[in-house]
Amino acid sequence: MNLLTLVIFLPLLGALALALVPRDEVGQHKVLALCVSLATFAASLGLWAGFQSVPGAPEFQFVQQAPWLPSLGIGYHVGLDGVALLLLLLTTILTPVVILSSWNAVAERVKEFLLSILILETAMIGTFAALDLVLFYVFWEAMLVPMYLLIGIWGSENRLYATVKFFVYTFAASVLMLLAILYLYFHDGNSFDYLKAREALDVTPAAARWLFLAFAVAFAVKVPMFPLHTWLPDAHTEAPTAASVILAGVLLKMGTFGFFRYALPLFPEAALSYRWALAVLAVIGILYGAMMSFVQTDMKRLVAYSSVSHLGFVMLGLAALSAEALTGSVYQMLNHGISTGALFLLVGLLYERRHTRRIEDYGGLAKRTPLIAAVFLVVTLSSIGLPGTNGFVGEFLILSGTWLSRLHAPAALAALAAVGVILGAVYMLLLVERVFFGPIRHQENRVLSDLSVREGFVLAPMIALILVMGLLPQPFLTPVKPSVDRLVQRFQAAETKRGGEKQVGTVPPAIARATAPAQAGRGGE
Amino acid sequence: MTGFPTVSFAALLPVAVLTLGAIVLLLSEAFLVSGKRAYQSALTVAFAAAAAGAALLGPRPGPVFDGQAAQDGFSVFVTVIVCAGLALSALVGAAWLGARSSERGEFYALATFAAAGMVLLSMAADLLVAFISIELMSISTYALAAYLRRGLRPSEAAFKYLVLGAVSSALFIYGAALLYGASGSTLFSRISAGQGSPYYLVGMGLVLSGLAFKVAAVPFHAWTPDVYEGAPTPVTAFMAAGVKAAAFAVLVRIYLAAETGVTVKVAAFGGLLSALAILTMLGGNLLALPQRSVKRMLAYSSIAHAGYLLIGVVSAAVAGARAEAVASLLFYLAVYSATAIGAFAVVGVLERRADGDREAAEAWDLARFAGLARRRPLLAFAMAVFLLSLAGVPPTAGFFAKLYLFRAAVGAGFEVLALVGVLTSALGAYYYLRVVLYMYMRPPEVEGEVLSAPSLGVALTAAVLVVLVLGVVAEPLVRLATAAGGLG
Repeated sequence: MNLLTLVIFLPLLGALALALVPRDEVGQHKVLALCVSLATFAASLGLWAGFQSVPGAPEFQFVQQAPWLPSLGIGYHVGLDGVALLLLLLTTILTPVVILSSWNAVAERVKEFLLSILILETAMIGTFAALDLVLFYVFWEAMLVPMYLLIGIWGSENRLYATVKFFVYTFAASVLMLLAILYLYFHDGNSFDYLKAREALDVTPAAARWLFLAFAVAFAVKVPMFPLHTWLPDAHTEAPTAASVILAGVLLKMGTFGFFRYALPLFPEAALSYRWALAVLAVIGILYGAMMSFVQTDMKRLVAYSSVSHLGFVMLGLAALSAEALTGSVYQMLNHGISTGALFLLVGLLYERRHTRRIEDYGGLAKRTPLIAAVFLVVTLSSIGLPGTNGFVGEFLILSGTWLSRLHAPAALAALAAVGVILGAVYMLLLVERVFFGPIRHQENRVLSDLSVREGFVLAPMIALILVMGLLPQPFLTPVKPSVDRLVQRFQAAETKRGGEKQVGTVPPAIARATAPAQAGRGGE
Repeated sequence: MTGFPTVSFAALLPVAVLTLGAIVLLLSEAFLVSGKRAYQSALTVAFAAAAAGAALLGPRPGPVFDGQAAQDGFSVFVTVIVCAGLALSALVGAAWLGARSSERGEFYALATFAAAGMVLLSMAADLLVAFISIELMSISTYALAAYLRRGLRPSEAAFKYLVLGAVSSALFIYGAALLYGASGSTLFSRISAGQGSPYYLVGMGLVLSGLAFKVAAVPFHAWTPDVYEGAPTPVTAFMAAGVKAAAFAVLVRIYLAAETGVTVKVAAFGGLLSALAILTMLGGNLLALPQRSVKRMLAYSSIAHAGYLLIGVVSAAVAGARAEAVASLLFYLAVYSATAIGAFAVVGVLERRADGDREAAEAWDLARFAGLARRRPLLAFAMAVFLLSLAGVPPTAGFFAKLYLFRAAVGAGFEVLALVGVLTSALGAYYYLRVVLYMYMRPPEVEGEVLSAPSLGVALTAAVLVVLVLGVVAEPLVRLATAAGGLG
């Protein structure tokens, strides 16, 4: 059996087994779900070990292809490139973490909770692995229902409003993508297969622009890009910790992954027409998210808005279309999943102890809970991109890649985005200061307990990843490179076809330009 | 005339079986001694299964009685849908009526007569045969709608249904007369001979209007919410499945026969039906949004689904896309029937029993669904599956039905219709999901008596299995629908 298929469906099989365990055996449910998610993680490490990123290795590996609905041209076709592999690993590592983190936090309807998480895991992995457009859409939409239940059943006070908003926003945006997929079928030699569609696509430039927009809207809502982000603060804030972590860690990446895998490579020429708009919206998102984070009084909402800001970086890097910025974007997807996921875990820990998310209810916690404070600080530093943590690698690559890209006014965009980095440092450090330092103002805070062993196990993998990815980025960058190179080549081919000025890749650095001005100035004919 | 060939009788066997079944059920009531009626629903299921079997094992496809009816894959497919709908509704009806102590043989007999009309309608290839089948189907369903005549709502529903149904029948027969005047024949296949004549235009317009009443297309839909809400719930389920499938079957046959050999650009009625489809999708979905009564919401939802199905009818007029559009329509009808019966069955389980003459407005209120996931987890799960399928969320059968139908529309060049279709189905997600929200995310509000019966369990399990299995392996049914889509 194909290892990738096994990884996709293992959680679903686990969910079926879980469904058979009697409702009252709560302890068994937890242990079973944790074991299933750990087994999935172990299996996904096999994918990591078997993936080849040497030059000449196939673009998609662990490929399996089988007819599914041949009468309609739909096939079961899965495979991984480097980017999908890393995001898949992120998914499989976060799932056991969130199951362990909700060990005590979720006390009601535990069985349904774990069922939702496991079904959601299959849908997420499938979304990254799918190579058939309909299969991709099926997994993409299948994520909605478990997440809808997670937010709506186990969320906090305003959960019903938040979960309906989440569902309607994402569902409405996705149906346009479905229509675009159907249109593609009749213009790529009658196939829903992604690889065939990518090669054989034959649409007019006007149609390509509409199709790009249909895909882009579906993905932009998920990212979320300003101004389609309004579902996110509500959903993140009201969701239970586990769902917040998965939302921030994996589901938002679906949007940026969708751009990277589908919207950009399928319609490169249309993407070139809209990339400037994407870049501007991304920068607005960076600054807007950062400024909104400033004024939040609710910790979870603050972290949620910081996600808008961080995902803006990813989108900026994707719009810049230089190899460096694209690599940075992919890296930042992983970073955001880890650091924001860890932040939500920590906020969840504090909430379990104090049952409030208001920042002003805390203060001086470092004295009582030094371990939590230390971990929180490390995660914060990663989130704001301090050198030595993973955040630095991603943000640096995006900013420098944008600066050297062939976007209009790249320096201005990079500079504005850099302002976002500074703002990010300010609001995150302010949060740390207000929660952990200063005098203890509330008596309740004097009796808080520090990290338990279980919570240590929850956070340890996150801290380890933050440090390893910050100090040794190479093993994570290597599998990304072939995918990024292929995307850049695709765009270079598209711009050759389109003619006119060169638009993708990087401009040579200033020193090189001074010595060869004629070459740089006229590039592209 | 070549006399009455036996092969024609063989083709009518399913209708004969159902008619016989209806008579047997009537007699069973007359000779009933013990007062135990549980076997009547089983008998109905048996006759439905026999009729479906007779259709599946029937003679080779061909014209019946000199082309007045047609026995082909299309009619067989619709026959199986109708028979399955009859069987499921009878099972639901047994539990529902049993709980109200109003189980009678007439109920099953009327439903079986109606099914005979539907089966004949799916085969009709002649305006008069179609009219007679429509009447057989309609008169039986009028009576069924009035079956529980106590209370205001059932009476109102039945009366409204009778009056508006009579109007639509009148429109149909008047249009048929004009078409006969234009073409000199009542056979569907000759209707196109009258093209160009003003009688043809008026006649087709009237015939299509009459059928638009039957399929509940906006603006001919006004009767639907009241009738669907007021009729006994198992009857509503049967109407949503059977009447809809049969009415669409005859609509497809008439429309495709009449508008054959015309490109869509000049087809007189293509634009009209497209407009009807758009209005129906918008109207059905928008009107469903504010409903608090789940039964009424499902009634509007059935209007919305008629709108999606109309896309299939319009697409089928394009020569290159015909086979696929008809196949996708059949697939959609099959999936919708199973889903709608299931959803109405759950509504029937939860609804508050009428208290004498006082008909409670909140008999099907959302509040009755609150906390269902805690009270009856399996029932809530079944309802969630049906609702997600109606909304078209994968991996349910409803998703593939929509995908198939919209694919046919895009392939036929009707991107705009498909666009309206996907956008309105996003609207639909809101009101379907609201029921899920009540079931899973709200605490129980009313301690209502909840129906529980083995026959109901069988029906619900069957419907859930259809929806879930087709959501994963749709291929076999797609093949059957494709084989049936050729229209003999």
